Amino acid sequence: MRAAPVLLASVVAFAVIEGAVFHTGLYPWILNPDASTGYLETILRIEHERPKTGPQILGIGDSRMLLLPRLSNQHTAETGYTFGTIATAGASPRCWYYMLRDADPTARSYKAIVIALESYDDAERWGDENDSDSDLSYLIARLRLSDLPEYSRSYHSPKQQWKAAEGIVLKGLVYKRDFEDLLLHPVKRVRYVQLNRRGAFGWNYEYNGPPDTLSDFHVDWDAKTLTAPPNANAELVQKLKFRLVGPLPPDTGTESRYLKYWLGKIYEHYRGSPTRLIFLRLPRGGFVRPDQPPYNPHSSVRELAAQPNVTLIDEHFFDSLEKPEFFRDELHLNGPGMIPFSVMITQEVTRILGPAR
Amino acid sequence: MLFNTPQFFIFLLVTTAIFYVSPKPLRRWILLIASYFFYMSWNWRFAPLLLSLTAIDYFAAIWMEGVESPGRRKLFLVLSLAANLGFLGFFKYYNFLAGMLAEAMRRDEHAFALMIVLPLGISFHTFQSISYVVDVYRREQKAIRDPIDYALFIAFFPQLVAGPIVRAREFFADYYQWAPPINEEKLRGVLWILLGLAKKMALADQFAQIADSYFMNLAAHPGAPAAWSGVGAFAMQIFFDFSGYTDMAIGMALLLGFHFPTNFRRPYLAFSITDFWHRWHISLSRWLRDYLYIPLGGNRYGSLMTYRNLMLTMLLGGLWHGASWNFVIWGGYHGALLGLERVFGRKHFQEQPHWLVYPFRAMLTFVLVCIGWVFFRAATFHDSVYVLQQMFSAHGKGILIPAWLGFVLAASLVIALFEEKLEWIERLAHGPSWAYVTAAATLLVMIELIGVTEKAVPFVYFQF
Repeated sequence: MRAAPVLLASVVAFAVIEGAVFHTGLYPWILNPDASTGYLETILRIEHERPKTGPQILGIGDSRMLLLPRLSNQHTAETGYTFGTIATAGASPRCWYYMLRDADPTARSYKAIVIALESYDDAERWGDENDSDSDLSYLIARLRLSDLPEYSRSYHSPKQQWKAAEGIVLKGLVYKRDFEDLLLHPVKRVRYVQLNRRGAFGWNYEYNGPPDTLSDFHVDWDAKTLTAPPNANAELVQKLKFRLVGPLPPDTGTESRYLKYWLGKIYEHYRGSPTRLIFLRLPRGGFVRPDQPPYNPHSSVRELAAQPNVTLIDEHFFDSLEKPEFFRDELHLNGPGMIPFSVMITQEVTRILGPAR
Repeated sequence: MLFNTPQFFIFLLVTTAIFYVSPKPLRRWILLIASYFFYMSWNWRFAPLLLSLTAIDYFAAIWMEGVESPGRRKLFLVLSLAANLGFLGFFKYYNFLAGMLAEAMRRDEHAFALMIVLPLGISFHTFQSISYVVDVYRREQKAIRDPIDYALFIAFFPQLVAGPIVRAREFFADYYQWAPPINEEKLRGVLWILLGLAKKMALADQFAQIADSYFMNLAAHPGAPAAWSGVGAFAMQIFFDFSGYTDMAIGMALLLGFHFPTNFRRPYLAFSITDFWHRWHISLSRWLRDYLYIPLGGNRYGSLMTYRNLMLTMLLGGLWHGASWNFVIWGGYHGALLGLERVFGRKHFQEQPHWLVYPFRAMLTFVLVCIGWVFFRAATFHDSVYVLQQMFSAHGKGILIPAWLGFVLAASLVIALFEEKLEWIERLAHGPSWAYVTAAATLLVMIELIGVTEKAVPFVYFQF
């Protein structure tokens, strides 16, 4: 046997196995729906399979984009629009771009995309979102070999860049944890995947949100103290304290550059398309700290607003929801808060777009 | 630069490429520079130590060969051994002895301690050096005249940090009649590297997680099932880790035209402790036999002396692994078992038993070996006793090894049993291409899917 052809054939055989299992829909079919990749895939599958008649509006964002299409669609007869959502807990603007690219490859499937942002001022975050470790796990089934240069370069740290490049080529490395989990309970996994395929749409679209509120919490902004009820969850109290009276991250411009890049990519995807990009600023919480980041006229989203098919919902449109009784934790609306939030989005988007044709 | 990192593979690729494109006279220089670069990539401060030991043994052997007087020959041997064992003793055992002294003097246990970092691979290259010097003393090996040749023998990177402990005559037989590897050797070399990497990353590191979680928090895992699975996981970790490393070393050496001796021969299929030591870390067993057991008298002076020599050899073999009483106990435990097997008749423990009896004997041997591993892995003697108590307690539930890893282990056992009879892994390079391609691709998939890749886990034997 000559060595070189046999070694080459071994590498090719490995590449064929890897490609056939991980670069096709074969392995994503069996992904754990509760893990990041499986969760994002479920959300996109629901959107793909959802019957779509008439003009469609699609919401996107992270776990705070608690639009309830069930409520919005109760008004379809009046508005003419059907709402859907691919908002995914933990998904970042970088994920949103790849999700939208695959959910709407022609950039013509939706009348509008409603994108929920935390801030219109590119408020800085703790940690560099460019190097977010979870994005690769969320997106691995969506990433193509042709994404390798741009996607891996979008990370700042060389280690993360390498990890991303390696993961896009050898997807099995990223699926590893999921695969090991599959090996632990293969039968249970298959059953759960089947159950999820039957029930995921309902679980997602019929979600009502929990009733918990922050009504019993009080903040003294002068003393920078938070008073919690005696039975309050200690972890929640810590998170609230950190968000409300903890230090703010220094403004380095990192978040702004990040958002300009990825919101810009989303805009580029829809440039020249009839789809309108509608941005909204999420209600900031049950308590809003007084030392908000300064107004930034050159923020990513304000610069995008100059484009013809981009609209910004008034920054203070949801201020009325920023009450403790509408929030269940430091970030998320509760069930009673999600209802007016969804209704307000529906009404405002309908107003912006005008009557459906 | 661990063997299981991308950096090492870049280093290996570059070194191999430069080695083959260079003119022949330059190749030994390239291997020597690469070996020192590899060693210094861990800690450059230890390079002078390696260089000094190399120089001492190089000159000691030449001087020894140049004199006829037995007294002066012995003097050079003693000087060389003193240097080798002195360095090894200082770096590896100083703090252990200082601790004992402090305890004897009722002082704080760190009263005489020094901040000493153990130079990588010192136990291995010291033993290799000693074997060379002793062989020259015994006139079984000619002194190497070229310092570059000798330096390369000591520092050759595939085996520098964790063996196998290669003898000078084995190394120089390849070196002086060097021929490029034939196609089958190249294929075998790559397969050994892949097999070693899969053993390390996909099996050893998986078992390491279980063993670590058990031994690092004993109180959290009471009962016999947890103890047996924790100890069993360590047994698998240390085997797959060390034999994986050795497979890679053998494979790399093959690619560079060198043939290393076998270091592991399916040790957990052993049917006795005697058989186990013919299969486990063979190059160390051979070294202990030839440079310790036989010089002590071996079995030439009656039964009692034989048992004494056996026990001394195993105690020192245990101590070689690390400066701790637990290693001494581990060595003593194996010495005692070997002695017992001698008492009951060596023949029964050296000859393959009937196939109906074999599985029971193999299982019993594995259990005995696992009991020994408790002392090897547990942090303290107290922990070892606790683990043994748990192993033989009647309570507890829940094994720590997940079912899928159990299946992988069962598959490995089946492969090992076939390998025992057919040695087909060795013969894959001679067989049809599809068989080789299937094996290589399977190993790559294993490394990709179940290999622990987030963080390169150091090889267990690198600490020795």
